[in-house]
Amino acid sequence: MRSAAALPFCLALGGCSTVQSALSPAGEQAAQIAVLTWILLGVLGGVLLIVLGALWLAIRGSDNARRLLSADWAVSIGGIAFPAVVLTALLAGGLWLMRPATTDAALTIEVEGRQWWWRVGYVLDDGTRIEAANEIRIPVGQEVDFVLTSSDVIHSFWVPSLGGKLDMIPGRTNRLRLKAERPGIYRGQCAEYCGGPHALMAFEVVALPEADFAAWRQAAGQPVSTVRESGFDVFAAAGCGSCHAIAGTSANGRVGPDLSRVGERRMMAAATMPTSEENIARFIADGQRHKPGNLMPEFDVLTDEQTKTIASYLARLK
Amino acid sequence: MPSARKSALTIRLSGRRILIGLGSLVSLGLVGAGMFAWLGIYNVAASVGHFYVVDRILRFGMENSVKARAPDIVPPDLTDPNLIRLGAAHYYAGCAYCHGSPDTPISPIAHSMLPPPPDLGGVERWKDQELFWLVRNGLKYTGMPAWPGPSRDEEVWAAVAFLRAMPGMNRAQYTRLALGDVEIAAQSGEEIATGEGPSDAVQACARCHGGGAKGPESDLVPVLHGQPADMMVQALRDYAAGRRPSGIMQAATSGLTEREMVQLATYYAGLTPLRPEGAPGETDSRVERLVAEGDAARNIPGCVQCHDNRALPLYPRLAGQSARYLEGRLTAWRAGLRGTSATDAIMAPIAGRLTPEEISRIAQHFARQPAAGESAVR
Ligand code: HEC
Ligand code: HEC
Ligand code: HEC
Ligand code: HEC
Ligand SMILES: [Cu+2]
Repeated sequence: MRSAAALPFCLALGGCSTVQSALSPAGEQAAQIAVLTWILLGVLGGVLLIVLGALWLAIRGSDNARRLLSADWAVSIGGIAFPAVVLTALLAGGLWLMRPATTDAALTIEVEGRQWWWRVGYVLDDGTRIEAANEIRIPVGQEVDFVLTSSDVIHSFWVPSLGGKLDMIPGRTNRLRLKAERPGIYRGQCAEYCGGPHALMAFEVVALPEADFAAWRQAAGQPVSTVRESGFDVFAAAGCGSCHAIAGTSANGRVGPDLSRVGERRMMAAATMPTSEENIARFIADGQRHKPGNLMPEFDVLTDEQTKTIASYLARLK
Repeated sequence: MPSARKSALTIRLSGRRILIGLGSLVSLGLVGAGMFAWLGIYNVAASVGHFYVVDRILRFGMENSVKARAPDIVPPDLTDPNLIRLGAAHYYAGCAYCHGSPDTPISPIAHSMLPPPPDLGGVERWKDQELFWLVRNGLKYTGMPAWPGPSRDEEVWAAVAFLRAMPGMNRAQYTRLALGDVEIAAQSGEEIATGEGPSDAVQACARCHGGGAKGPESDLVPVLHGQPADMMVQALRDYAAGRRPSGIMQAATSGLTEREMVQLATYYAGLTPLRPEGAPGETDSRVERLVAEGDAARNIPGCVQCHDNRALPLYPRLAGQSARYLEGRLTAWRAGLRGTSATDAIMAPIAGRLTPEEISRIAQHFARQPAAGESAVR
C-alpha cells in the first residue's frame, strides 16, 4: 500500500531527473520549448478557469447570469473571437520562439536511426567523417546541426534536455539544431515505436568543454587499433568484422555499430548497459537475453576464452 | 385442460426415462469395456492377426485417411538421379530392415510384425503426395515410423523418389545406388590391427559422402573433404542431439560415440579437397560484392569473413561445396527451418535476408571456387 502511494512521486521524480528531462533544459532550444510549455500551461490554465466559471454559472447561476451567457454576443465573443485571438497569439509566439536558425552551425553530425541503434558520423571541415555509434560528443556553447535519416523504419530522435524531438523518416533528411549550455551527459531516446526492442534504443549526448572536444576530435581521427593488436585475430576469425568496422583494421562491416573506439563510450548496446569488459563478453555470448530481438546473433559457439579475448580487445579500444 | 396437462406430464416423464435409459446403457458399456480390458479377454498377440473383416476395415480406413490428408503440393522432379541416390542410401539404412530391398528380402522378424511391413514394390497405387505423406508422418499403431526431422520435406522427397525408382531394380543396380562404389584404403596397418581405425565407420558415411579421392554420389549431400574437423564434430554432435534437424543425418549419427565422431571428422578433414564443379565461369560483380561486403542496408554481412580459410574452424567452408547443397540449406533457412544449435543461431537470420535469386547465384559462386586447406586460426 505504501509503495503504491509512493508510485506517483517516483514517476514525478523520474521526470525531474536532469539526465533526460524536458523540464530541466540544458540548451537554448530546450529552454525555448520549456518557456513555451510554461506559457501554454499558464494561458490554457486561465482559459480552463473561465470555462469552468461559465459552466458553474450555467448550472447554478441566477436567471440573469444565464440569460447573459446565452446571448448571441456572448457566444460570438466567448466562442469565436476569444479562442481565435488566444490561439493566434500562441501560434505566433510559438513560431517566433521556434524560428529556424539563420546562422551556420559550428558542427554537423549525421545520425542514422537503425533497428535498434544509432549510427553517428561527425562531418569534419575537410569533408572526412569520424564514424561512431550510440554516443554523440558535442562542444558546449556551440550550435550543432543534426542531420537525421533512417535506414529502415521511422525512428524519432529526442534528447529532452537539449531540445524537441524530430522524426527520422526513411528516404527523407531532417535537420535539427541543438546547443548545450552546460557540460554534462544528456540521455536521448527513440521516441517513435520502431518494433522489437524499441524501448532499448537510447543514446547519450556528451557535452564537453570546447577545448576537450577539440582534443577528442583530434584523437578520434586516428585509429587506435591495428590488425596486429592482440585479440584482433580472434575478432576477425569469429567473423565480427563482417558486421562491425574498426578503423585501421580490415574489419569494415556496416551492419552493426562502428567499434573503432567502443571502449571509450560510457554505455553500450544503444545506451542500455555500461561499457565494461564483462558486459561486452555478456553481450557477445548472451546478447538476446539482454536485448531481445536485437539484430546481432548470439555467439554461443565461442569458448569462454575466445569471448574474453575479444571482449578485452574491444574494451581497450579507447 | 386436465388432459393436456396430463399428456405434457407423460412426455416429460418419458423424456426422463429415455435419458435414464441411455445413461444406463453408456455406463454398462463403459463397465463392459473396462472388464474386457481388465480381464485380458482381447488377445494382443501379433501372431494371431486380425479377423479378415477387421483387417479390411483397418486398411480401408488407413487408405482413406492418407488420401484425405495428403498435401496439395507440387512434387519436385522425382526422376532426378541426385534425389534417387540420396533416397537409396537412406533407404539402405533406414527402411530396408523392415521393408526389404532388391538386395535383401524382408527379414522374418520384420515380417512377423502386425501389420507386416509390405514389400514396397507395389506403391504405384499411391499418388506422389500420398507417398510423401506416408513417409513423412508414418502410420499410427503399425510400426511405420514418422520421418525423424519433421521439417525436412526435401529429404522425404528423396525417399519418395527412390520408392518410385525401386520397382524393377535388380540387386546390382540397387547396391550400386545405395552404397556408392567407394573403396576406402585403411588408414594404417596399425590402426586396423588395433581396431582403432575409422574405416568401418567411414564406410557407413562413405555411402553418401564418398571418401578418398571420391566425392558424394548425390549433389544433395555435402562434400566433407578438407572441411575443418571442429566444424564436423560440432555438426555430428548437433545432429545426434537433434539440435540440427535432418532425418537422414540424425539416423546416421545415432549410436556414434564421441570418439568415433572425432575420428570420422579427422579422417574427412585430412582428405584433399575436391576440384570444384564446373569452370570458374564468368564473374558476377554483384554477387562478388555481396559475398565480400554484404549489403548493410538490408543487414546482410559479407560471407567470406566467416566462411573462408581465415575464419574459425568451427564455421563451414563454402568454397568447392556442392551448389545444390548450399542452395538447399539457405533455402530451408529462408523458409523458416530453425535448429537449436549455437551455429544455427548465427546463420539462420542472415540466410533469411537473402532473396531466392541471390541464394542461387551465391551457391553457384562458391561451388566454383577452389577450396583450400586448413584454417590459420585455432
Ligand atoms: C550479423 C551482424 C553482426 C555480427 C556478425 C556481429 N555483430 Fe555485434 N552487433 C550487431 C548489431 C546489429 C549490433 C547492435 C545491437 C543493438 O544494440 O541493437 C551489434 C552490437 C555490438 C556491440 C555493442 C556496440 C555498441 O556500440 O554498443 C558489440 C560490443 C558487438 N556487437 C560485438 C560483436 C562481436 C565481438 C562480434 C563477433 C563475435 C559481433 N559483434 C558480431 C551486428 C553484428
Ligand atoms: C520398423 C519397421 C519400419 C520401418 C523402419 C519403415 N517402415 Fe514403412 N511400414 C512399416 C509397416 C509395418 C507398414 C505397414 C502399415 C500398414 O499396412 O498399415 C509400413 C508401410 C509403409 C508404406 C505404405 C505402403 C502401403 O502400400 O501400404 C510406405 C510407403 C512405407 N512404409 C515407406 C517406408 C519408408 C520410405 C521407410 C524408410 C524411411 C520406412 N517405410 C521405414 C514398417 C516400417
Ligand atoms: C544416407 C546418406 C548419408 C549418410 C550415410 C551420412 N550422411 Fe552426412 N549428410 C548427409 C546429408 C544429406 C547431409 C546434409 C544434411 C543437412 O541438410 O543438414 C549430411 C551432412 C553431414 C555433415 C554436415 C556438413 C556441413 O557442411 O554442414 C557432416 C559433418 C556429415 N554429414 C558427416 C557424416 C558422417 C561422419 C557420416 C557417417 C557416420 C555421415 N555423414 C553419414 C547424408 C548422409
Ligand atoms: C558471423 C559469421 C557468418 C557470416 C557473416 C555468414 N555465415 Fe554462413 N554460416 C555461419 C555459421 C556459424 C554456419 C554453420 C551453421 C550451421 O550449420 O548450424 C554457417 C553456415 C552456412 C551455410 C551452410 C554450409 C554448410 O556446409 O552446411 C551456408 C550455405 C552459408 N552459411 C552461407 C552464407 C552466406 C551466403 C553468407 C553471406 C551472405 C554467410 N553465410 C555469412 C556463419 C556465418
Ligand atoms: Cu524506436
